[in-house]
Amino acid sequence: MSAVAAPRAESLVRNGVLSWLATTDHKRIGILYMGSTFSFFLLAGVLALAMRTQLAQANLHVIGAHAYNAVFTLHGTAMIFLVVAPFGFGLANYLIPLQIGAPDMAFPRLNAYSFWLFLFGGIVVFAGAGTVDGAAASGWTAYAPLSVLKIGFGAGQDLWIIGVMLVGISSILTSVNFLTTVFIYRAPGMTMWRIPIFTWEMVATSLLILMAFPMLTAVLMMLLVDRHLGGHFFDPSLGGSAILYQHLFWFFGHPEVYVMILPYFGVVTEIIAVFSRKPVFGYTGLVLSTFAIAGLSMGVWAHHMFTTGAVVDPFFAALSFLIAVPTGVKFFNWIGTMWKGQLTFPAPMLFTLGFLINFLIGGVTGVMLGSPPIDFQARDSYFLVAHFHYVLGGGSLFAIFAAIYFWFPKMFGFMLNDRLGKWNFWLLFAGFNVTFFPMHFLGVMGMVRRIYTYPDLPGWSTLNSIATAGAALQAVAVIVFIANVYVSSWKRIPAGDNPWDGNTLEWATTSPPPELNFYALPPIRSERPTFDRNHPELAAGSAS
Amino acid sequence: MLAPLPLGATVQSASLHDTWIVFFWVGIGVAAVVYGLIVWCVFRYRKRRGDEAFPEQFRQNTGMEIAYTVIPLLIVIGLFAITYRAERYVETIAQTQDVVVNVTGFRWSWRFEYPRLGISVIGSPKAPPELVLPLGETTRFNVHSVDVDHAFWVPDFLFKRDAIPGLENVFDWTPNKLGTFRGECGEFCGLDHAVMAFTVRVVAPNDFERWIATHRRVSFARKATN
Repeated sequence: MSAVAAPRAESLVRNGVLSWLATTDHKRIGILYMGSTFSFFLLAGVLALAMRTQLAQANLHVIGAHAYNAVFTLHGTAMIFLVVAPFGFGLANYLIPLQIGAPDMAFPRLNAYSFWLFLFGGIVVFAGAGTVDGAAASGWTAYAPLSVLKIGFGAGQDLWIIGVMLVGISSILTSVNFLTTVFIYRAPGMTMWRIPIFTWEMVATSLLILMAFPMLTAVLMMLLVDRHLGGHFFDPSLGGSAILYQHLFWFFGHPEVYVMILPYFGVVTEIIAVFSRKPVFGYTGLVLSTFAIAGLSMGVWAHHMFTTGAVVDPFFAALSFLIAVPTGVKFFNWIGTMWKGQLTFPAPMLFTLGFLINFLIGGVTGVMLGSPPIDFQARDSYFLVAHFHYVLGGGSLFAIFAAIYFWFPKMFGFMLNDRLGKWNFWLLFAGFNVTFFPMHFLGVMGMVRRIYTYPDLPGWSTLNSIATAGAALQAVAVIVFIANVYVSSWKRIPAGDNPWDGNTLEWATTSPPPELNFYALPPIRSERPTFDRNHPELAAGSAS
Repeated sequence: MLAPLPLGATVQSASLHDTWIVFFWVGIGVAAVVYGLIVWCVFRYRKRRGDEAFPEQFRQNTGMEIAYTVIPLLIVIGLFAITYRAERYVETIAQTQDVVVNVTGFRWSWRFEYPRLGISVIGSPKAPPELVLPLGETTRFNVHSVDVDHAFWVPDFLFKRDAIPGLENVFDWTPNKLGTFRGECGEFCGLDHAVMAFTVRVVAPNDFERWIATHRRVSFARKATN
């Protein structure tokens, strides 16, 4: 190993701000992605606190109706398009080349372009807040004909459309990059049936993006045409169709849900295996279930439209229920991985267990919402709000924190403080559930989503103030996390190459890895080459 | 709180309630099994002092894998059957109706028109309209919108149906409880979505006749003064 010279990259500047602006290194781009999404996360979190303050009691007027509508629109848009989905892209940017033993992504410059397009798109969305009518205020779904109206939906709405479009195009380019990288840049010995589960999940995610996101670009373009070029796509009085918007939007929007969860299935799979000291249980079944989920998710868009009376409910209900089967398979893969293992519980594993517990609640309520007779009551109520927060907040967001605690040492070469990490977890876990569990009851009692105020009905103020208190607790948890990064970077306890006794190739190189990633690769004989190298007596296929 | 859903105040809502209850308890059952297994792993298989040797490195168990694919599949097939039956029942439109109401959503209130009775009630965000229905009689609703998407939702009836421009949605309600129920707009429609409310008052059939009589007179008087 000592004979190998340090790999060299082409970039001219290696340090300072300029080196980050001009970088095409997948690891730096990954960190830029994750850093930007974290900034958007803080922004969206502040907006959530504004909403919870306004809703703390019945008939409050902390912020007005129009401001509230803009706040929840930006909160949803940011969390979905600028936080949960792109954090996965950032993590994948960082990990995919490392996990498959490649020096970089297939198209490094395209990769940099995707990132800057994403960041610019996000800024454009928020820039709407500086316009005369304020930011977009038609919800993250921007249903036409509402979003076509000019009164109350001015330049902020246009900036929203253009910003989201840029983010969508960036995602398409990124997924092309991921797929090319995985298909042709794998190291010798890294067959498709040996790539780590996280990389598999990103293959499925990228395919979903390629199928679904062009529809987002198209439907947003149609909105712009209706708004400014005299189009009537969504105007029934002139031969258009209002329901068409929902079909087109959800044809993108449902696969998008899986774009926001599949990467995190990968994250928790990797983490559970490492902290159970066992290989992933049912690797093949786990990969197949991922593709089953991805395939089915292309055919369930109309379960967002059961109450429209415009879709064939039983078909979409049946397909939606079927998704529960491969998702259930994953849960048993995770349990099987823990079964008869030797479990330890540092912060990444705690967040992963939090993911399992929260996501299961979101999964159960998801099956309920997939049943039209239940959806007739629950749709667009706070029951639905609770459901998707359990999936994307209690699920994806917990996996994001798990991923940060797990891979931070690899990215920066020093450990995050585990004691603060545990505080972070317990505060977030308690805060999250205190915020969102009461919303199930509010929804059943008839509280509709996207309202800036509500009447003083029995129990409503109580449940809402509990939710608001939970939101404050979550804010404390996030502050603890920021403090942890600050304290840990001050203490700088070295991580070493492989602090967790990891399985996959990223743990076989230095922390942080050099440019172009590897000085030497271990032989790749299974889906966990680093583990095989470090524990040859346990390696797959070893004579024993 | 154990099964947190009211029975509903229409004949149709009973089947919605039953579906909910089945899903709720199946959900509780599935969650209990999965949580049980996770908790078992966390406590039984935690790394103990002296655990230096690695645990057995097994990777699969075909029998288990088939079981945990097939059993959930059977569960969702059952859930689908229940869903299908309840939905067919709720969506059934009666051949004859006692009352017809045309519901029109607009930003930001509702108009309830009884075409056979010549009565029309129109509201505003400040003065929500009242929908009056006879107890035990089947009312046909035709729901549509004149501007953007809305949804006509009465939480106590466990049912909402979207009001979408260019579409006409049809369903029946047969109220089986007397009382006044809150209704609201269930689809975001802009600035005053939060206050686009209405009330539903279910009255005995003879009271309904009396309401028709007075309301016709009021409508007539208004026309006369205009």
